[in-house]
Parts: sequence; C-alpha cells; structure tokens
Amino acid sequence: MKNRLKVLRAERDWSQADLAEALQVSRQTINALETGKYDPSLPLAFKIARLFGQPIETIFQDEA
Amino acid sequence: MTLVSQFSKAYQSNRLVRGLVYGIAGAPFGYLFGRWLGSFKDFGEWNPTWPDMMAALLGVFMFGLGLGVLAVCASRKALGRQLDPEGRRPATKAQVFFYAQNGVVLLLAGVMMVAPVAISTAFDPVPTLVGSAAMIGLIALFLLQTAMNISVWMRSDELLRQAMIEVGALCFVILQGAMFLWAAGGKLGLLPVMTLWDAVPVMMGMYLLIAFAVTWRRGLAA
Repeated sequence: MKNRLKVLRAERDWSQADLAEALQVSRQTINALETGKYDPSLPLAFKIARLFGQPIETIFQDEA
Repeated sequence: MTLVSQFSKAYQSNRLVRGLVYGIAGAPFGYLFGRWLGSFKDFGEWNPTWPDMMAALLGVFMFGLGLGVLAVCASRKALGRQLDPEGRRPATKAQVFFYAQNGVVLLLAGVMMVAPVAISTAFDPVPTLVGSAAMIGLIALFLLQTAMNISVWMRSDELLRQAMIEVGALCFVILQGAMFLWAAGGKLGLLPVMTLWDAVPVMMGMYLLIAFAVTWRRGLAA
C-alpha cells in the first residue's frame, strides 16, 4: 500500500518524531509506514486521517 | 533527490559504518571469550558439549546486549539520539523506562541461559540441594522476566506488537517442523537423539536470528 505520509509531514515541516508523538506511536513506526514496510491498522489509519484532516483514501492508496 | 532521501541515505551509510566499527571492535572480545571457553578444555576443567558451549555463548551475548541497552538508557540524551538521530530531543522518562525494561529482559535471559551451564560445571555432579536452590532461582527469574515481557507487550505500539507476533509465528512454524523431523529421524535411528537441553540453545539461537530478520524487514532498526 502506498501512502502520502512523508509528503503531508514535510508540508507541515514536522519531523518523524513530531508525527510519532502526535499519533502516540514510535518514530520507527512512522519510518516503517513512510518506507512501505508496514501498513497501519484501521484505528491508526483513522487517527492519521483525523490528524491531517483528510479522508483515509487520499492518504493511503491500494497498489492493486 | 529530496533532502529527506539524502538524509536517509547518509544515515543508512552511517549505520553501516557504525556497524562495521562495532563489529571490528567486538571481534577481539569474541575471540578472547572463545579462547577462554576453549582453555577449559585444555586444562580439563570443563569439557563442554556443543549445547553447553552454544548456551554459554548466547547467554553472554544476550547479557552483553542487555548491559549495552541499559548503558544507553543511563543517559536520556544518548537514548534520544538512538531513537531519533534526526532530532536533538532527549528521550522521555517513559521511553527510558520502556527501553531499560527491554534491557533487563535481555539481561535476565542471558543469566537464565548461562546459569544451568555454570552450575553444572561448578558442581559435577550437582548436589540436590544446590540444584533445587538453582531451580527455584531460575523459576523466580523466569516469572519475573515473563511479567516484564507482558509489561513490554502492553506498552508497545502496534508495529512492535506486529513484529513480536511475526517472530512468534515464524519460530513456532520453523522450530516445531524442525523438531518433528529431528525427533522422527531419532526415532528411526537415523539421527542422534537430542535432549531438551540440546534443543534449548538451538531454539534461542533461531529465535534471535528470526527476531533480527523481522526487525530488519519491518524497519525497526532504522
């Protein structure tokens, strides 16, 4: 699954640690999400969508 | 190429260099420890079997790793740098406690791995009283470590939990398959029969290998 997390984070000038703190996860989790090594759970995806004020499908795109 | 990707590449190459430096620095210690283990054989004090040797090596490795983690946790700045090389903020108290707990879990695993080998080497045969006392100590350490592991699980985020689940599942599938095949080979007289103690360091070694692989694959080492 592709995502625009890195772009959205860069637009706000947030570091991975800033985003991790806002989402209450580790910085490694943010790094894993951005590099496509991990797909978030549904609750975390909703949390990310709420934080950026965008629908989930504009942040995460299914590659299939 | 963006600034982020440039940083990421530089950071990754830094990690490789650091890994190489640690490897080179650690090699003499490994060599000396190996020689020390080998010296027992020369002097006839200890004639270790391969499971004892492997358990001792793994135990010392985990103990050293645990000490290393605790040493980093002693400084909030040092832990902060490990957790977020990009930033300059020190680790929070909760992060220090979490990673220190991981360090203690590793340390206890090391002690539990080495203790049976050390005690059976020091006392040959092991007196029942000493064996019982050691067993009670091991059970206490095992319960303490289990409680700490559960606590680590409860306070982990979803990526770490996912990694733990994957490690557990892979260990179960690979080890139960390998053990069945070995046991079948032993029953058929084709392979030497293993004791439970023989299997323990193999399981721990495989667990560590799988844990490192999953950690790497999931980007937890980044």
